[in-house]
Amino acid sequence: MIALRWLGLGAVVVACLGYLIFAATGSSAEYYQTISEMRGHPSNGDVRVLGTVQDDVARSDGGLHVRFTAAEGGHTMPVDYQGTLPDIFRPGMPVVVEGKMGSDGVFHAKALQAKCPSRFSTATPPTT
Amino acid sequence: MFLAELGSVFLLVSLVLAILSFGTGLAAGRRDDARLARLARRAFYGLAVFLLGASATLVAALLAHDFSIAYVWEHTDRALSVPLTVAAFYGGQEGSLLYWALLLTLGGSAALVAAAQTSYRMTAFATAVLAAVATFFVLVLAFVASPFDVLPVTPADGLGLNPVLRDGGMLIHPPFLLAGYSAFAVPFAFALAALLAGRDDMGWTGWTRRFALVAWALQSVGLTLGMWWAYHVLGWGGYWGWDPVENAALMPWLATTAYLHSAEVQERRGTLRAWSYGLVITAFLLAILGTFIVRSGILPSVHTFAVSQLGPWFFGFLVVSVAASVAVMAWRSDRLRSQDALETPASREGALLLQNVLLLALTAAVLWGTMLPLVSGMFGSQLVVGAAYYERVGAPLFIALLALLAAGPMLPWRRVDGGWLRLMRWPLVAAALTLAALLAAGARQAGVLVSLPLIAAGLVTCVAEYAGGVSSARRLAGPWLLAAGRVILRNRRRYGAYLAHAGILAVAAGLIGSHAWQQSRQVALHPGESVTVARYTLTYEGAVQRSAGDHSEQVARLRLGQETLEPARLTYPSAGGQALTQVAIRSAPLEDLYVVLAAPAEGDAATFVVFVNPLVTWIWGGAALLVVGVLLGHAGRLDPAVKPLPAAVSAPVAAK
Repeated sequence: MIALRWLGLGAVVVACLGYLIFAATGSSAEYYQTISEMRGHPSNGDVRVLGTVQDDVARSDGGLHVRFTAAEGGHTMPVDYQGTLPDIFRPGMPVVVEGKMGSDGVFHAKALQAKCPSRFSTATPPTT
Repeated sequence: MFLAELGSVFLLVSLVLAILSFGTGLAAGRRDDARLARLARRAFYGLAVFLLGASATLVAALLAHDFSIAYVWEHTDRALSVPLTVAAFYGGQEGSLLYWALLLTLGGSAALVAAAQTSYRMTAFATAVLAAVATFFVLVLAFVASPFDVLPVTPADGLGLNPVLRDGGMLIHPPFLLAGYSAFAVPFAFALAALLAGRDDMGWTGWTRRFALVAWALQSVGLTLGMWWAYHVLGWGGYWGWDPVENAALMPWLATTAYLHSAEVQERRGTLRAWSYGLVITAFLLAILGTFIVRSGILPSVHTFAVSQLGPWFFGFLVVSVAASVAVMAWRSDRLRSQDALETPASREGALLLQNVLLLALTAAVLWGTMLPLVSGMFGSQLVVGAAYYERVGAPLFIALLALLAAGPMLPWRRVDGGWLRLMRWPLVAAALTLAALLAAGARQAGVLVSLPLIAAGLVTCVAEYAGGVSSARRLAGPWLLAAGRVILRNRRRYGAYLAHAGILAVAAGLIGSHAWQQSRQVALHPGESVTVARYTLTYEGAVQRSAGDHSEQVARLRLGQETLEPARLTYPSAGGQALTQVAIRSAPLEDLYVVLAAPAEGDAATFVVFVNPLVTWIWGGAALLVVGVLLGHAGRLDPAVKPLPAAVSAPVAAK
């Protein structure tokens, strides 16, 4: 009798949690894509895209507005981002941009994260 | 060259000792052989000594700038300060694994010395489990990711350390977190040992809890330092980003928090025994899963670690650990069947069990969010979730936990016999007053209106417990303040726990305050111009360029009344011109003013991001209180005052 009551309680908890997770995932999940995947499957919502910052970084608006080209796996896309940049943002760094591809062919990023390196360069060991 | 060879020899001997300790430990437990059990323990102590030798060798190589060793070359250079050079011991992949193995064997040895008196048979099994974990690490260290690999040519100088990591935080945050991760292995070994032996006793559960507590405290400090470091160094105004690496550290902490509460029921009522051991085992498996996530680079994270060849190794270890744990649980947990069933949810033990369920639900939600890219990636495009997901799932669970913090400690063991309102009157009054005050002050956010009154109620619950202790002391002989001190000291575990509850409530208030009431503004200013955020008006006075050692810095001066704030940007030419923000933070009990020099000044103008972060200091203070409360509560002899309740009594037993 007691065991049954606990079992019922457990089932209710699991059902609630399942619903909670399901609903929250559905309303906030975003695609994490490569540049070519994003071009292949345009999505209505925001997506996150990984790319390496190229040399054409142009800053304006006191450094708070930046345009650059991101490249990954032979594909490139122009990115437009308004906001503060991470310290380690510079050409050659991999970044993850979150936002939408505009009709102008430019990716409008709402958020930009730099991948934190564990050291500066991917230098190869010296050989003779 | 000599150091590299010495280190490799230390690792190989360690491997032999680890395997020896595992084999003899297992045999000793199965055959109930005390002499073999002693041999297993001694082999384990020897393992700790040899790993200490390997670690000392690595530190010596770092300090000697022996760039013939790849690890030394990759993580240091001649210009690096001595403390940071030593910190490189645990700063890189291979070194951190060695550090982990070292702490595992040192902590494990201490635990075995302490518990060997209790039961040599269970200790033998615990030795075997610890040795099995150590064997995996030493195997990886010796053959896959050795910190003693030698370069073909010795370079003149090393690559150095990333400027972001050249900070005091680097000295203390990683060692604490890694120590926490490694420490989860000890209670895990004790729990599995109890299951393998098919029995346990008060002494054994006491030790299991004590070692779980050590791991939990280390992880609490590690997590808090990580948040503190993110807040003070990274300059984005926040402290937690729900990154997989952060989640990985949070999950074992949540599971262990659940265990520390279920252990209370285990001890007082003799129930939830297998459940409690299950929680300890889960915590360790989550720690290994976290390590796998962090080291393999399998999930998209802002933290990337250089090498990913360790992924398959950790995955294999994870699979073996899960399989072994599940098998032992399934095979043995019926031996630990409870003597006494839980009667009703409306009791202290019911509240503690509900807390366990909520914490596990939170863990499951975090696990799902963390693993989603991996799971969805198997079926097509990778999906990721951000802060929005965690807030949506976490908020209801968080609120329920706050309600439990207020109500749970007020419930008596076994069952409530009427009088709900009387039991809860003070917390209810506090909640009502707080709600009225918030409404009067104009707060309208639902989250704030629910959570802050619950926090106030929880604090009153803690205070009421202390007040109860003090008032009972007044009936004792002698000066009542002294008597109260004695009462609290004698029941220090209980009063320590309420101190810890007050700490976590302060943390909760800090999380909610900084979340709901944060204000920020981005602005470009010319000298003489001002910006106002909340009640602060900052006037930009100009910037100066300075050169200091290996970097140059641009320091902006902002006037706030009589004070001057100096946010800065450091540039490291040696690191390819990498910049490092130095945030100016003016901390006050109720809010932080947080100013970032966002971009290098162009011409006259400089760009700032100004945050007002309410109650952030409560997070740091609350976390300190949490850890201090728990540690004080458990200082001294094991279990000074707590006795289990008799198995069945007719009258309800008061909480006292």
